[in-house]
Amino acid sequence: MTTTTVSAPAAPPSGRAAPARASGRTAGRSAWGGSVVLLLGAAYCLLPVVWVVMASTKNASELFDSFTLAPSTHLWDNLVDLSGYRDGLFWRWMLNTALYAGVGGLLSVLVSAMAGYGLAKYTFRGKTAIFNMILAGVLVPGVVLAIPQYLLLAKVGMTNTYWAVLLPSIISPYGIYLSRIYAAAAVPDDVLEAARTDGAKEGRIFFSLAVPMMLPGLVTVFLFQFVAIWNNFMLPYIMLGDDHLFPLTVGLSGLLNQGATQPAMYTSVITGALLSIIPLVALFLTLQRFWQVDLAAGAVKA
Amino acid sequence: MTTSTTTAAPGTPAPPAGRPRPADAARPRRRRRRAGSAAPYAFLAPAIALFALFLALPIGYAVYLSFRRVKVSGLGLGKNARTEVWAGLENYRTALSDPDFVASVLRVLVYGVILVPTMLGLALLFALLLDARRVRAKSFSRVSIFLPYAVPAVISSLLWGFLYLPSVSPITYVTEKLGWGSPDVLDSGWVMFAIANIALWGGVGFNMVVIYTALKAIPTDLYEAARLDGASERQIAWRIKVPIVLPSLILTFIFSMIATLQVFAEPITLKPLTNTIASTWSPLMTVYRDAFVRNDIYSAAALSVVIALATLVLSFGFLRLVQRRAFSQEK
Amino acid sequence: MRLHTSLKVAAAVAATALLASACSSGGSGDGDGSASPSTRTTPTDPAQKIDLTYWTWAPGMDEVVKAWNTAHPNIHVTVNKQDGGDPAVTKLLTAIKAGSGAPDIMQAEYQKIPTLVAADALADITGDVSADLESEFSEGAWQSVTLGSDTVYAVPQDSGPMEFYYRADVFEKYGLKVPTTWDEYAQVAAQLHQKDPKAYLGTFSANDAGWFTGLAQQAGASWWGIDGDAWSVDIDSAATQKVASYWGKLVQQGVIDNKPMYTPAWNKALNDGTQVGWVSAIWAPGVLEGNAASTKGKWKMAKLPQWNAGDDVTGNWGGSATAVTTQSKNPQYAAEFVEWLNTSPEAAKLLVTEGGLYPAALESQKTALSDPPAFFSNQPDFYTLASQISSTVAPFTYGPNVNVAYSSYNDEFGKATKAKTEQAFTDAVSAMQTTTLDDLKQSGYNVKE
Repeated sequence: MTTTTVSAPAAPPSGRAAPARASGRTAGRSAWGGSVVLLLGAAYCLLPVVWVVMASTKNASELFDSFTLAPSTHLWDNLVDLSGYRDGLFWRWMLNTALYAGVGGLLSVLVSAMAGYGLAKYTFRGKTAIFNMILAGVLVPGVVLAIPQYLLLAKVGMTNTYWAVLLPSIISPYGIYLSRIYAAAAVPDDVLEAARTDGAKEGRIFFSLAVPMMLPGLVTVFLFQFVAIWNNFMLPYIMLGDDHLFPLTVGLSGLLNQGATQPAMYTSVITGALLSIIPLVALFLTLQRFWQVDLAAGAVKA
Repeated sequence: MTTSTTTAAPGTPAPPAGRPRPADAARPRRRRRRAGSAAPYAFLAPAIALFALFLALPIGYAVYLSFRRVKVSGLGLGKNARTEVWAGLENYRTALSDPDFVASVLRVLVYGVILVPTMLGLALLFALLLDARRVRAKSFSRVSIFLPYAVPAVISSLLWGFLYLPSVSPITYVTEKLGWGSPDVLDSGWVMFAIANIALWGGVGFNMVVIYTALKAIPTDLYEAARLDGASERQIAWRIKVPIVLPSLILTFIFSMIATLQVFAEPITLKPLTNTIASTWSPLMTVYRDAFVRNDIYSAAALSVVIALATLVLSFGFLRLVQRRAFSQEK
Repeated sequence: MRLHTSLKVAAAVAATALLASACSSGGSGDGDGSASPSTRTTPTDPAQKIDLTYWTWAPGMDEVVKAWNTAHPNIHVTVNKQDGGDPAVTKLLTAIKAGSGAPDIMQAEYQKIPTLVAADALADITGDVSADLESEFSEGAWQSVTLGSDTVYAVPQDSGPMEFYYRADVFEKYGLKVPTTWDEYAQVAAQLHQKDPKAYLGTFSANDAGWFTGLAQQAGASWWGIDGDAWSVDIDSAATQKVASYWGKLVQQGVIDNKPMYTPAWNKALNDGTQVGWVSAIWAPGVLEGNAASTKGKWKMAKLPQWNAGDDVTGNWGGSATAVTTQSKNPQYAAEFVEWLNTSPEAAKLLVTEGGLYPAALESQKTALSDPPAFFSNQPDFYTLASQISSTVAPFTYGPNVNVAYSSYNDEFGKATKAKTEQAFTDAVSAMQTTTLDDLKQSGYNVKE
């Protein structure tokens, strides 16, 4: 994409640059202005997270009684309460979510990579139609699909199982779209041609040549898909009746909705929310490296 | 389908690093294999199969349901009192003539106009700052701004609910101490901004990363020429970087628009906290109300078809415009 | 040899069970009570282990079920905890429609029973429960699970007769009198708000339709009715209008708050004394303890204020019954469990201690509850008073589109509480009537105007 657009705008700046300014003008001032803006953004984004951390240290009466951002000492008690709910069901939810997101994410990346590669590296009949059709899938929200998907899976008796959540999560129009872009950018045609002249089969070419070249991009696809499945609510909500199969989103929302005659378990929900953010943060911090690696490779094809 | 309830919209990164290929300048790009092999179809088979099963089929079924309704006889109790019958366009007629539904569509369009430019503008600003020289605190800011993306919409709405309700909010605590009174963003005409803020908070990091990735792919020698000519960072940003990532921005814009038109999780989580959000606040909430509260899947199906068609028209129009530019790499 | 015999026995038992369920689940329309000659009133146990699933959101149900499982190793019940209220019903109805995925046993709030019966979700268990089960419950409770017919669709589990809860310490501080009529309540509300402009005697919640329904019920309204084979909708009856305009006036005057209940803000208000009273139901101690633990021992419970001095009637808010679904493959044993759950003394004790429920079974109300709840240790006669009150619940009929009415309540009264005028409140009632009636007609029900 950048190939065609790079050449055009490169010309103007040099011609229209303002009268030469000492580079010192940009050195000190704008750097601090920019940093402050970034820090403000960071503060805005962190505020609710700080709140969650503080709130999860409070017990039920303190939660509504004290200044919201002042910490307290009940984090351990809240953790114990949360773990005691239905014999540690929360941790099971955590494992379930890791399963759905991890396995679902990996399968999704595989399917998306194959589809993206096929779309990017081949011309064939129906290519545009297929791609447009897949992309149109983005238009349909989960709320709409939930009940028809349930009815269809019920016909084969697969509702209320792990598969009921995994299978529909694998197809990701956005993942396919991204993979197509990555495949086009990262896999040079001549390498493929060379391999073909050497007599390699298409499948082999894909797995041993193309995938390693697409890897940084695929990591990105995996990360986004992982988060999407981790945060998905509607699909597991309608598919699962047994709360031992729930992911975190459905489980925590259930703690809030105990019915009209029970208090909502705010402290448990808040503590649970905090705990559920941690694995994702850890994942980001780990996978950030891939973005670095990717970006450091530098120039785009000329 | 990986339908998440976040309104963080997917965007288009520019392609990540490829290898520089000077040899290409010399010879024309090889066409792809045209030999009518089954290979592309094989690669696409799993995706198509899953798409057919979990997207196409349910959508088809939903369309089918939108033409049906339930007929009840007598008191409606007992075994055979309810039968499903053909309803023709009745569900559509009712949906389109419902003033609440029309109001919700307009409301959500306004919401989109408020949210999307702000979110993308901020994402672009943050991305440019992350890419600029001599800006400090980049690593910390990058992770912090991206962090909200990790929080599911249901949870983030609950957290912001605590921050909005005047009696429990630390923000109103501070404003009261400063003598500014305790504003109630939930109980006035500000509720739309309150909801938009939650979506903004959750989505700006995602879009920032997308744009940042695109920026990082630009070869730095482009800037060197400009810098030697004395252009300031701001000019470089505005004159070089932004035009280069413009296609990225456009596609991100479309995806964001689609996601914001489908806003659902935030208003429905905030609804029990205030009197100002009706059950038909957004079109998708109306769908939810019909399907899950009124147990009227038929009306919900008709509404969904209407919403999907409208979104389709809006987005495919744009997509067609930019498709050529977006996929020029393959030509 | 032995194996052969036990197989024969198993087959015989299975056949009987099949026969019983086939006979008892048919012909539910006319509600013929004498369903099948082979059904029993003495409990039986299947020869082989069967598994039953139970969808519920009542807390502590695991403990209760554990007691059953220990005593009945061949009928194993598993609890699947659901989100409270509407979502579980939707899931159930979707499963019923799909033909699979529904549990054996389902918790069914009273107002949802007509909806569930209309969707053919609840099995007719008339022949599977004891013939004299009716005598264990109050007339109102029994009527809600039979819909006035002879068919038993569910067994009442807990109920929610309404009372008035107030902060006794705040009342003493300001010298307020405990109201016995609604006129007095209005006066006390005004006095309290004048003495402390930040405090309110209560709030009108546009989010809690069940609360308002209970109050209308107390005033004598019954929003739906069955007349022969036609439904009637009477939401904007004089009684409901009276209740709506009463509260509308109080909100307009500003002596009653207009914010929803069950929000973090409301919890805070309970804690810091800006909500001084709560018109609620018998399960309130659990909620107060969970949300406002710091106010323990400061609250007291009194009878709900009456419309006319000397009256003794109240409404019902919440409470559910337990039903067997039409997808259950073992309705006989499921019904056996359901009956044990809601009438046996040991189950009642566990429901009270673990679940904080107020049992609907009259006997259990007397025996399982003697000491006041810990939160109300300052009121030793709590449950004696409760037992008196629960027998004064007025009758009320729910229709098949309760959800439409409740959702309309949310929207209309949301607007009204925002507008804060008495007129808006009565308009809201009329709007509810129109929406509910139109929806019923549009669905094709036989409706009497």
